[in-house]
Amino acid sequence: MITEVKDPSIETHNLTVVYNKKPAIWNIDFTLPKGQIIGIMGPNGSGKSTLLKSIMGIVDPNIGYVRIFDETLDEVRDRVSYVPQRQSVDWDFPASVYDVVAMGRYARKGMFKRLNKADHEVILECLDKVNLLPYQNRQISQLSGGQQQRVFLARALTQEADVYLMDEPLVGVDASTEQSIITLLKQMKSEGKTILVVHHDLHTASDYFDWLVLLNTRLVASGPFSEVFAEDILKDTYGGQLTTLSKIASLLKEKSFPMRHK
Amino acid sequence: MTWWQEFISFFSFAEPNVEIVFWGSLLLSAVSGLVGSFTFLRKQSLIGDVIAHSVLPGICLAFLIGKEKDPAYLLIGATIAGWLSTVAVDFISSRSKIKSDTAIALVLSVFFGLGVLILTNIQHSGMANQSGLDQFIFGRASAMNPADVQVFAVVDILITLVVLLFFRAFKLLSFDPQFAQSIGFPLDLLRVILSVITVATVAMGVQAVGVVLMSALLITPAAAARFWTDRIRVMMILAVVISAASGVIGAAISYTSSGMPTGPWIVIVLSAMALLSSLVGKNKGLLQARLLRWSNDRKIAIENTLKSFFYLTDGFEDDPGPISSKTLREKSRMHRADLRRGIFFSRLKGFLKKENGGWVLSEEGEKISKETVRKHRLWELYISKFMHLKPDHVHDDAEGIEHIITPEIEAELEELLEFPETDPHDKAIPKV
Repeated sequence: MITEVKDPSIETHNLTVVYNKKPAIWNIDFTLPKGQIIGIMGPNGSGKSTLLKSIMGIVDPNIGYVRIFDETLDEVRDRVSYVPQRQSVDWDFPASVYDVVAMGRYARKGMFKRLNKADHEVILECLDKVNLLPYQNRQISQLSGGQQQRVFLARALTQEADVYLMDEPLVGVDASTEQSIITLLKQMKSEGKTILVVHHDLHTASDYFDWLVLLNTRLVASGPFSEVFAEDILKDTYGGQLTTLSKIASLLKEKSFPMRHK
Repeated sequence: MTWWQEFISFFSFAEPNVEIVFWGSLLLSAVSGLVGSFTFLRKQSLIGDVIAHSVLPGICLAFLIGKEKDPAYLLIGATIAGWLSTVAVDFISSRSKIKSDTAIALVLSVFFGLGVLILTNIQHSGMANQSGLDQFIFGRASAMNPADVQVFAVVDILITLVVLLFFRAFKLLSFDPQFAQSIGFPLDLLRVILSVITVATVAMGVQAVGVVLMSALLITPAAAARFWTDRIRVMMILAVVISAASGVIGAAISYTSSGMPTGPWIVIVLSAMALLSSLVGKNKGLLQARLLRWSNDRKIAIENTLKSFFYLTDGFEDDPGPISSKTLREKSRMHRADLRRGIFFSRLKGFLKKENGGWVLSEEGEKISKETVRKHRLWELYISKFMHLKPDHVHDDAEGIEHIITPEIEAELEELLEFPETDPHDKAIPKV
C-alpha cells in the first residue's frame, strides 16, 4: 500500500544500499508529503537508520537516488537537518551543552566563519525550547538520556531547517520527556516543517504520526497513518521477511554477486 | 658535579648543543600534545602506534636514497611510510573480513619488521654516516643538530596553523562525524588533513622518543589533561604544556648521563604526570573521589549523631539535661567509630557542646537534628505511597536517603505529599 503525493518533500527512487554485500534497504521508492510528522517503522535490522543515512548522504546508495524539494541534497542542504542516534556519539567528550547545541550553527557558518551575537541568541532560544537553558554550562556526560536527546534536538533546531530527519529520538527517554518532545515536534509541524522520525513503539505511533512508512528491507507501505496502520499491513511488516527475497539476499552475499551490472 | 647540578646545568644552556636539544625536545613534544589530542578524542590511540612503528622503514629508505641524515629527507621518508601504514590499515579493515584491531597488529609488525630488516642491512653495509640511525628506535634527543631544529620549528608552525584553522572541523569530526557530514563538512578531506599532520608529528617525534614509544607522546598528554578539565580548548592547551614539560625534563635527565636514551625518560616523566593527574585531577581523579567519600561519610556521621538526640529527648519535648557518651553509644545504634567521628566533627562545627560530663546540642545542632528526622519521615511516607511499600519496610531506605535530600527535593516531597503531618508509622513529622 504505497500512496504517492504531488509536490513531495522527499522522493526516493529505487534506493538500494548494500552493506557487507547484503542489501540493507532494497528498492525503496516513495514520495513523502510536506509539513507532516512522518513515522518510519519496522523491525530491528529493517534498514530504518540506513534509509535516513542514505537520504542524508551519509551512506552512498549503491543504486537509486534521493531528491529533496525536487533538488539534490547538496542544493538544499541548509534546509535539511539530521539528528543521529543518541548512542552514536561518545557523551564523555569534553564539551558543554551549549558547545554541542552551537554545532548546529556550523551548518550555516561553515568551517571557518565565527559565530556572532545573532547565532548566540538562536542557540539560547533553542536551548529554551527544549527546557535546557539552566543546563547550558553542564558537561554533557552529566546529563540523563532524555536530556542528551534534547541536546541533539536543540542542536537540530538551531539549523532552522525545513526538513528534519530524526533517528530514534524517543529511545531511552522517560515518559514526560517523550511527551515534551512530541509537543515540540507538533509545534514544528504547525510552523510547516516536515519531520521524519524513526520509531519502534507501535503502541504510541497512532498518537504521533500523520504519515507512516513501514519498512522491512523493502518498502512495505507508505501512506496516511490511518490507512497504513492496519493489521494485515503490520503483519506483513513484522511477520518476517519475504522468504524468496531473503534467500536471494543471502545468495548475493555468499556468491559476492553484484546487485546490478554497471 | 652531582646529578642534580648536571640536571640544572642543562637549563642554563652552558654547552651550545644543549640549547639545540632543549628547543628540539620542546618543539617535538609540544606539537605532539596538540595533534595527539585529536587522536585521543577520536579513540585512535592504536593508529598512533601503527604510524610510529611504521615510520622506521621510511627513515631507513630515505637514508639509503639520500645517503645522509638530512632531517628534511628523513622526515619526508618517515611521513610517506607512516601515511602508507594508515592507508593499509583502512584498506585491510574495509576490504576484507579482517577486523581493524587485527589489521593494526598486522600492519604494525610488517612495517616495523621491514624497518628493522633494512636498518640491520645498513648497519652491516659499512656505509659512512650511518651511525646514529639506530637511535630512531629508542630516540636520542642529544643527537639533534641545528638543521633538525629549524625543520621542527617550521613544521610546528605549519601544524599549529592547520589546527587553529580547522579547529572547529576537527572538533566536530571527533565528536560526531555523521552530523559533520550531514551539514556538508568535507569529511574525507578533513580526515586526510588530520592524518597528514598526525603522521608528520610522529615522524618528527621519533627523533627524540623513538618509534617504540612515540604513541605514548601522542596520547598520554591528552589523557592526562582530560583529568583536569571538561573543556576541549583547555584540555588541548594543557596537553601541550604537559607534553612540552615532559619533553624538556626527559631530555634534561638523559643529558645528565651518556648512557640514558631520551625516549624512555620522556615517557617516564609523562607517565608520572598522567598518574599524578589521575590521582589529583579535579575531574574523576581518584583523590577527588576519595575526598568526596570522606566528606559524605562525615556528613552522615554528624547527622546520625545529632539525630540520636532527637530520639533521646522525644523530639526535644523532654529536657533530660546533658546526655552521656555511654547513653549515646547504647541508644544511637551507630557503630562506635562512626559515633566517635560524629561527636568529634559535630563539636568541631559547634553543633555539640560538653556540659557537666555530657553532651548538649547547640541551636544549630538541634535544627540539623530535627531536619534529619524530618527528611527521614518524609522519605518514608513518599516511598510507602509511591513505591507501595509496607510501613515496616521503609525505614532502612530512609536511613540512607535522609542525608542526601536537598532543600529543593524536600519542598518537592512536601508538595507531592500535600504537606503531611505524620509518617507511615503515625509519628509526627517535625517542623523546623
